[in-house]
Amino acid sequence: MPVKSDHRSVDPAAIAMLKIADQNDIDNIWERLEKQQPQCGYGQLGTCCRICTQGPCRIDPLGEGPTRGVCGATADTMVARNLARMAAVGSSSHSDHGRKVALLLKAVATGENTDYQIDNVEKLQGVAAKLGISADGLTTLELADKVADAALDCFGSQTEAAIQFAAAYMPQRLQEQLGKAEVALKDITGARIGLMPRGIDREAVDILHRTHFGCDADPLTLVAQTVRCSLGDGWGGSLIATELQDILFGTPTVRTIKANLGVLDAEMVNIIVHGHEPILSEKVVELARSAKMNKAAEAVGAKGVNVAGLCCTGNEILMRQGVGVAGNLLHSELAIMTGAVEALVVDVQCIFPSLADLSSCYHTQFITTSEQVNIPGAIHMQFEEHDADKIAEQIVQKAIDAFPKRNAAKVYIPQETAEAVVGFSVEQILAALGGTPGPLVDVIANGTIKGVVGIVGCNNVKVKQDLFHQELTRELIKRDILVIGTGCWAIAAAKAGLMNLEAQELAGSGLKAVCKSLGIPPVLHMGSCVDCSRMLVLAGAIADHLGVDISALPLAGSAPEWSTEKAVAIGSYFVGSGLPVHLWPAPPILGSPAVTQILTEGAKDLLGGYFFVEEDPTATAERMLAIINEKRAGLGI
Amino acid sequence: MKKIFVDYKKCVACKGCEIACAIQQHPSHSLYALVGDKKTQVNVRVLGVEHEAFPVSCRHCEPAMCLDACPSGAISRDPQTSAVVLNPDICKACAMCAMVCPFDAVSFKQTHRAQYGRTVAYKCDLCHERLQEGLNPACVDACHSNALVYKESDELSNQRAVQNLKVYLLGDEGEPPLFSLYRELRRKEFARRRSDKS
Repeated sequence: MPVKSDHRSVDPAAIAMLKIADQNDIDNIWERLEKQQPQCGYGQLGTCCRICTQGPCRIDPLGEGPTRGVCGATADTMVARNLARMAAVGSSSHSDHGRKVALLLKAVATGENTDYQIDNVEKLQGVAAKLGISADGLTTLELADKVADAALDCFGSQTEAAIQFAAAYMPQRLQEQLGKAEVALKDITGARIGLMPRGIDREAVDILHRTHFGCDADPLTLVAQTVRCSLGDGWGGSLIATELQDILFGTPTVRTIKANLGVLDAEMVNIIVHGHEPILSEKVVELARSAKMNKAAEAVGAKGVNVAGLCCTGNEILMRQGVGVAGNLLHSELAIMTGAVEALVVDVQCIFPSLADLSSCYHTQFITTSEQVNIPGAIHMQFEEHDADKIAEQIVQKAIDAFPKRNAAKVYIPQETAEAVVGFSVEQILAALGGTPGPLVDVIANGTIKGVVGIVGCNNVKVKQDLFHQELTRELIKRDILVIGTGCWAIAAAKAGLMNLEAQELAGSGLKAVCKSLGIPPVLHMGSCVDCSRMLVLAGAIADHLGVDISALPLAGSAPEWSTEKAVAIGSYFVGSGLPVHLWPAPPILGSPAVTQILTEGAKDLLGGYFFVEEDPTATAERMLAIINEKRAGLGI
Repeated sequence: MKKIFVDYKKCVACKGCEIACAIQQHPSHSLYALVGDKKTQVNVRVLGVEHEAFPVSCRHCEPAMCLDACPSGAISRDPQTSAVVLNPDICKACAMCAMVCPFDAVSFKQTHRAQYGRTVAYKCDLCHERLQEGLNPACVDACHSNALVYKESDELSNQRAVQNLKVYLLGDEGEPPLFSLYRELRRKEFARRRSDKS
């Protein structure tokens, strides 16, 4: 199918599928966005408060109407409360994911669960050592039990002390910097304001309490708690998810995978796993590869069972199992439209409810598995960790049973795929460097590489799919800036061939030379969105190696097509850790001059990190280069 | 001349006017009663035109083309308020009014006012009953950002001229800078989304 440009996506596979959607009048997210126009400005500006039933109250941004809600809340209060709630939800989503992994590790350690095993003993020992847990005289399972307890304690801790994971993983200098910021905040407000997270759940609950009717109204303290809760995600919940998944399923290693809808195979039973948690998808992959299930597939006339990933579940299994990835967020409907997907198996987060209706137009079995995600029209097959093998087998069988119902006339799989070298855990990056961040620091210090930018986040239907991800990445590597990242950005970069070794040719001469000598692409896939914690750990390792603050390093972050509350938490923990963070689209804060000032300027003095908004990829790259050069000058390099 | 004036740059597309109109026009005057009620009449529509939004409703022209075009005499002018009003009992749903309306402000469906389940024309009646009680049209009262005002034209134009002159002569701040930024970012977001170029 000839590929023409399309205002909805830059991905040729997406453009081909959208043509089919247009021809057949299939409902999709781009159409629904148009039908929602015009969208409410109060919501976009953050000045709508629905917290009590004396409202809803809205503060108009022009100062024409009332300047206070019924209770007296100003636009500043409303925006800050709404932002804090976004961070609480985002942080809770990542952290609840982490909790489930910790509970599974505990169950494996106690022998309660025998369907899973500890894959990476070395990582377990490393995590234990980091937490100060002695392995002396302990069996692997006993050690795992202690690590699981330490992780679980981070969620429910009721003391004022920082959670153990944050205290162990966060560079000492960052902890000191946050301590100084706490003192500065006390000087300004008179209030005791903490920034180090005391308990992962507690910091989210604190926001729920603080933003209840008649509590915190000060934008500064509300933003401070937003940062604290988010740090509990980045250096807590997400970090726990990453580290314990590495223990259970293996630390990612470098491998080559295929990306885009072409990973679907017209002759096989195609199962797409979509969502975020690898606990289920690891099992689906394991079962799908088993001789038994492949035989069952052959019995219905298929060549075998093919699993492909979508979104962050896709990232988890491509990093660890080398499974091909069908696409990122905006591919989820398009994948079903190929007519070649027998089952779309989902766990949690970023799953459009629309997938149920769409699946019913095909033979696709849309299977929900989490008690937290129930979608009318879907088939719910409750996943139980203790019975994982059996349930995963039933799911794969369900897909195989659907294969004969596939309508060949509806099948179209766009063949565009790209190869991507993925699997860059911190451990793999350090291994590539010879064990320490030293060589990376050296090439940054001598200017061969100017700095590092971490790009994260979603697709947002308001932004042409992957356009910002791709262009920003290209512009950065052209400027000798190494790009690392996670989430839907990583899938965008993989689909665009930017994680291919051939992409070295797109990099500036310095970055190109470094990548060639290490045999790596100039754009590194670090995992799923909880794996943003890997970027924090890497930044910390570089800062510690140099003996400087993270905020002094030539690093920056970006979420150029962000859409979810999780991204608010990620952006906030990057900023809280000292990093400048670019956002597009603009967050719902412009209704408040105070919150806008705090996030874009005030935070810089207090935390070292800050947010900025820019809608043009090239201008963003220029601004990041300027930031990196400013940091380099600060370091005298 | 007293009219509902629209300042579209101040419209934030909250659709508060639509809800207020629906409540005013519903026989129950209750928000909860109109939920799911297909006969609910909404006489103002906030339409999105790229990044801009515009609340469209009857302009109550004088002379009114719809009034002249209506063959059944269903459209008349309220003598007290000069509102162009439509009598659903006489309306034959011939759509002549809709065809001649330069603002596309006439719609058709089975409303609560239509008898025997007939489809009839409906449009803004300027809340002429509210006006007689000394109130503003419901949409105007619902609009926080003053995108909709009901004023004498001279009064409004003087007020706006003075405001603009304050910016020009005294260097006063016009639109709040963050609101200008918001509008500019929305314009860019739409421009980029619509662009076929990558």
